[in-house]
Amino acid sequence: MTIIHFQFLSAILFSLGLYGVLARRSAVLILMSIELMLNAVNINLIGFVAFRGFGQEIQTFGQVLIIFVITIAAAELALAIAIILRIYRNKNSVNVDEMNILKG
Amino acid sequence: MDLFQINNLIWMLPLICVFAFLSIGLFSKFLPSEGAIISIFSIGFAFILFIFVLIDFISGDLAAIHSSFTWIDLGEWTISWGLLIDRISIVMIGLITFVAFLVQIYSVGYMKGDSRFGWYFAVHSLFASAMMLLVLSDNLLLLYFAWELVGLGSYLLIGFWYEKTSAAEAAKKAFVTTRIGDVGLLIGIIILFKATGTFHISSIIHAAQEGGISNEVIFWSSFLIFLGAMGKSAQFPLHVWLPDAMEGPTPVSALIHAATMVAAGIYLVGRMFPLFELGPGILVIISIVGIVTFILAGAIALVMTDIKRVLAYSTISHLGLMMLSLGSFGVPAAFFHLVLHGFSKALLFLGAGSVMHGMHDQTEVELMGGLRKKMPITSLTFLVGSLSLAGIVPLSGFFSKDEILISIWEYNSWFLPITLFGVFLSSLYMIRLYCLIFLSTARSEYAEKAHESPRTMTYPLIILSILALFSGLLAFPFPFTGWEGFAAFIDDHHKFHMIPWLTVVSILVAFSGAFLGWVIYGSRRIVINNISSPLKFLYRLVFRKFLFDEIYSWIANKIVFTFSRWITIFDRVIVNDTGIDGVGNSTKKSADILKYFQSGYLYNYSLVMVVGLFLMAIAWWLVE
Amino acid sequence: MISTDLLLFFIASSLVVGGGVLVVTVKNIVYAAFALLVAMLGTAGIFLLAFADFLALVQILIYGGAVVVVILFALMLTRIEDFKGLTDNSQKPLAVLASITVLTIMMYAIVSTAMPSSKSDPVSMIDLGVNLFQDWAIPFEVASLVLLVALIGAVVLVRQDDEGR
Repeated sequence: MTIIHFQFLSAILFSLGLYGVLARRSAVLILMSIELMLNAVNINLIGFVAFRGFGQEIQTFGQVLIIFVITIAAAELALAIAIILRIYRNKNSVNVDEMNILKG
Repeated sequence: MDLFQINNLIWMLPLICVFAFLSIGLFSKFLPSEGAIISIFSIGFAFILFIFVLIDFISGDLAAIHSSFTWIDLGEWTISWGLLIDRISIVMIGLITFVAFLVQIYSVGYMKGDSRFGWYFAVHSLFASAMMLLVLSDNLLLLYFAWELVGLGSYLLIGFWYEKTSAAEAAKKAFVTTRIGDVGLLIGIIILFKATGTFHISSIIHAAQEGGISNEVIFWSSFLIFLGAMGKSAQFPLHVWLPDAMEGPTPVSALIHAATMVAAGIYLVGRMFPLFELGPGILVIISIVGIVTFILAGAIALVMTDIKRVLAYSTISHLGLMMLSLGSFGVPAAFFHLVLHGFSKALLFLGAGSVMHGMHDQTEVELMGGLRKKMPITSLTFLVGSLSLAGIVPLSGFFSKDEILISIWEYNSWFLPITLFGVFLSSLYMIRLYCLIFLSTARSEYAEKAHESPRTMTYPLIILSILALFSGLLAFPFPFTGWEGFAAFIDDHHKFHMIPWLTVVSILVAFSGAFLGWVIYGSRRIVINNISSPLKFLYRLVFRKFLFDEIYSWIANKIVFTFSRWITIFDRVIVNDTGIDGVGNSTKKSADILKYFQSGYLYNYSLVMVVGLFLMAIAWWLVE
Repeated sequence: MISTDLLLFFIASSLVVGGGVLVVTVKNIVYAAFALLVAMLGTAGIFLLAFADFLALVQILIYGGAVVVVILFALMLTRIEDFKGLTDNSQKPLAVLASITVLTIMMYAIVSTAMPSSKSDPVSMIDLGVNLFQDWAIPFEVASLVLLVALIGAVVLVRQDDEGR
């Protein structure tokens, strides 16, 4: 188990999340895909922290960083869900196909 | 840096009036007496400051006081803004602050009840401060700024009653006519800058005297600068704006004619005189322009029947005399005449304003007559002003005129007979004007009901008439005081001297003109029609002001407007339709096409983001 | 011979990848939510393998406990039966292409970068706490402020419009 494993796992998960964001139609599913991408980032980070051979201090810092990422992800999720609910209430749908009022 | 050092203090001179302009212009509704107090106090403060500076200047052995700071520093050359007090500018500052101060006090009475009372004083302050900046500036760029500000001030003041079409037209005329000269001035300044790399006046003059500028450059630049002076000082053929400038309030005319606007041209030529001296033939041009203006305007003044127009043409005529003096190396004489004429002309205009005040704004002399009894103070002071301008012996105008005649005799003796004829004309029309207004009997009911003006108006008249009476004595050296006469004050090389026979001739000419005027218009022993009828053609020509206005409007209508019409087509089709609308339309068209790239779908946008990421990866790979 | 921790890593990562694949492919959106839960739990296992006990705990609590539940609530509130048959949009082939390209780029970058690898000692939870509340106290407070703002914002956004106003 080396750093390479973590990086591969992270890359695969990130690509899956990206695919989800690009291909899915429901706003909630897109949101889930974004969560997958954030997790991919966290996995990459923890791989570096644990297997890069840093000192104690940098390792601790890396973990703190992941805590912050999780925090921000939670905040982002809360707002995104709120926005989705709001859109649903206005348009009676969460289908992003129908959210095209930015169309030129 | 000590703020209260004298060379920093001189910045206060223009700035205090700018402050007055801003505070009145912005807050006139909230100020007592709409801010007139602030304006008068600031110009009065400037006058007091002038006295302090004068004392400092004299006690400093007349060494120039200089203060400047760098405005733009571009390595190879710098542009600095500086103020300079030297012998010429101190005289001008004294004249400007003093006359402006008196005129403002007078205006309180004259403008009472006007709907834009405060604004009048605001513009007045702006005008005075622009003029002070002009005469204090030590470089041509700042001088040009001030020059344009003076133009703006005159525009606003001449067109002060812009509800009247004639006033608006006159303001426009003054602005456009002087603008023709201003263009020349600007080009001249640029030529000099290109030749010397500096705007600094003394550096330019130094370079010219060292032979660092070629003769052609000196000739053309000084000719163009003189063009600017012609515009501002109303010299032939750009004199047409000044008589129309009468449409403004009368105190404004007093200011323009005595101290500010028209003095600028004389000042500029005097300031740049060392350069003009070097230009081949330029002084001859100045002299010819001066004498033509002197005679033509004097002749027109003789036949005008509007009190303010007579005075206006008289001003033009005297400005021509000053130009003639400048062209004859008589710089001190010209400045002396500028100052003394300033006092007399301010006095006459304020007197005319007082007459109009009593006459319900009638300006036609045919309607006046017999005002001597009804307006004693105005009458007496007006007489002093008239006699002074006419060059009658003990009054101030005589002395300056005498100095000018000496200069002309010494350097330009060919012009002397014509100049003497002009002197004769000027005493004739001044006495004619006085007689028509104040002597004989009232010729209209306005004149019968005329009354004396309030004190704020008569006091300035009295002060100015005292000056007009006695300031001529400055020409003489005072023993024991170190004062060696005005001419020596301006220029050390000019020692006070007189040519007795010339003085006698001058006195005789002036007296004969005055006597003839009194005989014709005062005692009416000669009936004017007997003289004028054989010369009817000439009379009509002069009365139509030599048709200048007609010729100019013909040129403007037929040539300029036709040309403009063609330019307009170019502007419409090429500049507007193709250039500006073309740019706008092409933006609109391309936007019409490009907007279809905005699908509005979220996943399209994120796909484009991925493509961008991909491109960045490629770029990174290429760089690596 | 595969070592124990590598075996555990493969189990955890298969959970993660399997969950992720299901999240982005299944038609039923509720199943997708549960697949997300599986992926999160797998990630927690990965954290454990990297000696980050506290992070694993946080991962389970926040993602397993909070996020998935919130998403399920969102699904409930937005009438899940509507989603039948509209899970994927029209640019699916392009999405496949794009994600495979990105994956290739990242793989290439990982392979072509020499990465020295050595195991570090695990970080004790005490060290983490001390570090978080001493050196990172202000960012921590700011993060809590961000959470608060998000909370208030969410409340404001989803609040029913008052009829009487």
